[in-house]
Amino acid sequence: MAAADVNIASEPSEGRLTARDEADALEELHRLECTDGLPVVVPTPERVARMVAATCLDADLTLGNMGPGFGVCSVEKLAIAAVMAGCLPEVMPVVVAATRAVLDPAFDLTEMQATTHCTAPLIIVNGPARELCGGIASGVGALGPGHRANATIGRALRLAMINIGGGRVGVSDMALLGHPGKFTFCLAENEEESPFTPLHVGLGFEKDQSVVTVVGAEPPHSVLGVTDANDQTSADRLLMSLALALANVGTNNASLRGGAAVVVLNPEHADVLAASGHTRASVANAIYERAANSGAALARTAAVPVGDAAREFRCFASPDDVLIMVAGGSGLYSAVMPSWCAGPHRNRAVSVAIDVAPVCELPSRA
Amino acid sequence: MLARRGVPAIALVTEKFWSQGDFVARSVGLPDVPRVRLPHPVAGSGDDNMTRVATGIVVDLLAAWQRPT
Repeated sequence: MAAADVNIASEPSEGRLTARDEADALEELHRLECTDGLPVVVPTPERVARMVAATCLDADLTLGNMGPGFGVCSVEKLAIAAVMAGCLPEVMPVVVAATRAVLDPAFDLTEMQATTHCTAPLIIVNGPARELCGGIASGVGALGPGHRANATIGRALRLAMINIGGGRVGVSDMALLGHPGKFTFCLAENEEESPFTPLHVGLGFEKDQSVVTVVGAEPPHSVLGVTDANDQTSADRLLMSLALALANVGTNNASLRGGAAVVVLNPEHADVLAASGHTRASVANAIYERAANSGAALARTAAVPVGDAAREFRCFASPDDVLIMVAGGSGLYSAVMPSWCAGPHRNRAVSVAIDVAPVCELPSRA
Repeated sequence: MLARRGVPAIALVTEKFWSQGDFVARSVGLPDVPRVRLPHPVAGSGDDNMTRVATGIVVDLLAAWQRPT
């Protein structure tokens, strides 16, 4: 086989490695702690060149320095991570956009990688890229196994964070337990089954634009919502359940407050809210108003002490910090993803437009 | 950041985070930035213990301040 190119590690060494065969190369990548613990596709020069070509960008183009190791994130190094993750070339525009998003200083990637909290970057895709870039799942089990584009896009970003950013467990990634989304954490919005305007339109983009939104998030917390078309209180009760799930006193949202968090409505729940007159913005506002704890309630728990029993402490500084999206299958369960709420920018969501019009010719498959 | 600006600074790092402290120091180009090791945990360990820890590191702190970097 050709030389196995593992020139992605900011440490301990940069350079090209060789191996006798794929199996040996894989073991060497594991030994160098360049993997996420699962087998990877060996990033041979030919495979990497094909992935670089899919970006229509120069291999040497620098997207930024990735913390906490501050390795230079070039297109080539990102392509190596994408090869290792098992990406098909057509997902590269999303991988590049998601990487640009986490490299935005407002995302606080350095601090996020280093925290003891379990947070991980959730990648949300809107617009035509959902179909054009590998078919990113937004329906039943979108965050579960079996969706190649979702699995590999999120994994590519994670492998970049490990090998370019230097986020290594127990050394520079200090998450006390971590969460499964630290392997991969990517889904699309189910715009077709949503009664609301898409998330990216709410964030100021045009509907026909492709956009990736990245936000640090805990794993999905399931929210049971039993509704009834004959019950006029269904929508209000559902909103209360979603808000209280985000405001549960174990979350940083209850104690630190002020960060962005995610609400994933299943299409059926979204329809219940829309039928009662809600829009995306009014849902966000309703959750913002309801996601709160009294000082007395917090004082009964191990939350950060507040010392003012009578005051109510809202979890969010603004309705804009409650990201509403529609995804998953229809049924009883929606989900919320509380967040870390720390770092200099307090857990901001960052959105980047995806360039989905690459016309570059790909080299033949290696 | 204070050390980079020439302000005398010592990082107090608990033993569970010592490796991370090394990593960050190297990453920001300050591999020799003074550090003093604390037992873990300190936060939430009570006033008596924190007083004991603070008293116990005085000598190390003074030595770190006086060490040329």
